[in-house]
Amino acid sequence: MSWAAHQFEVYAVQAHLPKKMRGKVSFWGIWLGDFMPDFLSKFWVYGITVNGRHYGSSVPHQWHRGFPGMGLTHTVFVGIVFTLFLWLWKRNRAFAVGYLLGYAAHALTDVNDSVGTVLLFPFWWVNWTVQTWAYAATVEGGKYLDAAAYYSSLGLVMDVFWLVVVLASWRVLTRDYWRTQIVPADARTWAWIGKVLPERGLLALYRATFFYGLCRMISWTTWAHLIAEPVIDGVKRRGYPFDLSWTGPWWITARSLPHVNPWVVLPATLAILAGVYWALIRLWEPMGRAEAERRAERTTSPTRTG
Amino acid sequence: MTAEVEDLDHRGSRRLAGAEEVFWYLFAAVTYVVASIWQKFLLNWIIGPLWLVAVVVIGPAVWDRLRRGSRR
Repeated sequence: MSWAAHQFEVYAVQAHLPKKMRGKVSFWGIWLGDFMPDFLSKFWVYGITVNGRHYGSSVPHQWHRGFPGMGLTHTVFVGIVFTLFLWLWKRNRAFAVGYLLGYAAHALTDVNDSVGTVLLFPFWWVNWTVQTWAYAATVEGGKYLDAAAYYSSLGLVMDVFWLVVVLASWRVLTRDYWRTQIVPADARTWAWIGKVLPERGLLALYRATFFYGLCRMISWTTWAHLIAEPVIDGVKRRGYPFDLSWTGPWWITARSLPHVNPWVVLPATLAILAGVYWALIRLWEPMGRAEAERRAERTTSPTRTG
Repeated sequence: MTAEVEDLDHRGSRRLAGAEEVFWYLFAAVTYVVASIWQKFLLNWIIGPLWLVAVVVIGPAVWDRLRRGSRR
């Protein structure tokens, strides 16, 4: 799985919208779409322990990314289905488009660990993985071992990569960008939150996901390499060893599911991402017209009286 | 006077800018990282964002109140 990468990619998507969508796509749509796959599946991956009894998945990677399991939550297909429901319900182009972009970004980023995602669900129920780092969520190790493995492997490099992408587009984090690009696309939502928060709080709320991603990356990495005292192969160490080799780190067994040849995954993932952008660019104007028609219908329809 | 009015938002709260803004964001980051290294339950997507918002909203307000109090 990916950690802070999912927080950074929200801003990366926001900063790299197609030209005609700039200032018109909902940040909260991207945010919700990007977080939704893990909202739906991750609570049971680590589970909870109450009075010494563990409640959670017995095979976390199968539950999280497999089918049968909740793996379908990490597919572009399910993202499209959710987006269609949102669109038919609200006819809100800004939110629907943002939601699908965020959802696709999450599902496609997660092909990097050793389990990957059921990328072509429901047409093909096999996982697609590049195997860049080890998927390490286990019942015994829980969140701590998972974090230690991720932040000792190329997972850390992935987080840093997304951080660099956002920092290269640093304007996306500025007050001016928030005022001119973010607020107009979501004016009602920001106005509603603005009833309880001052402007400095609204701006902080916009930057908060980036803040959380950066801090969790620093915090887990510091803990894993300076504070933790793991026993690996019978030897007690200060900090988990780094291993930036493919499918690392060596000191944990990378979880896996039946998957396609990793060499075809990256081109396929990029093709799907390009397909999502292409489809949304083509649908942008028709969706805008449909939204305007719905709004016109609402304003001309007779008001109900008691 | 005009500059002071421009520094206030729709709720009459002070906007942050420059070094003061950097200070509060850094303060939030350092305290959150240090606290969460030792208390992992803080590392979640609700507490993390709320931490920043709370520091940026409450911090300057408390600071302003303390300054006003010390002037009297």
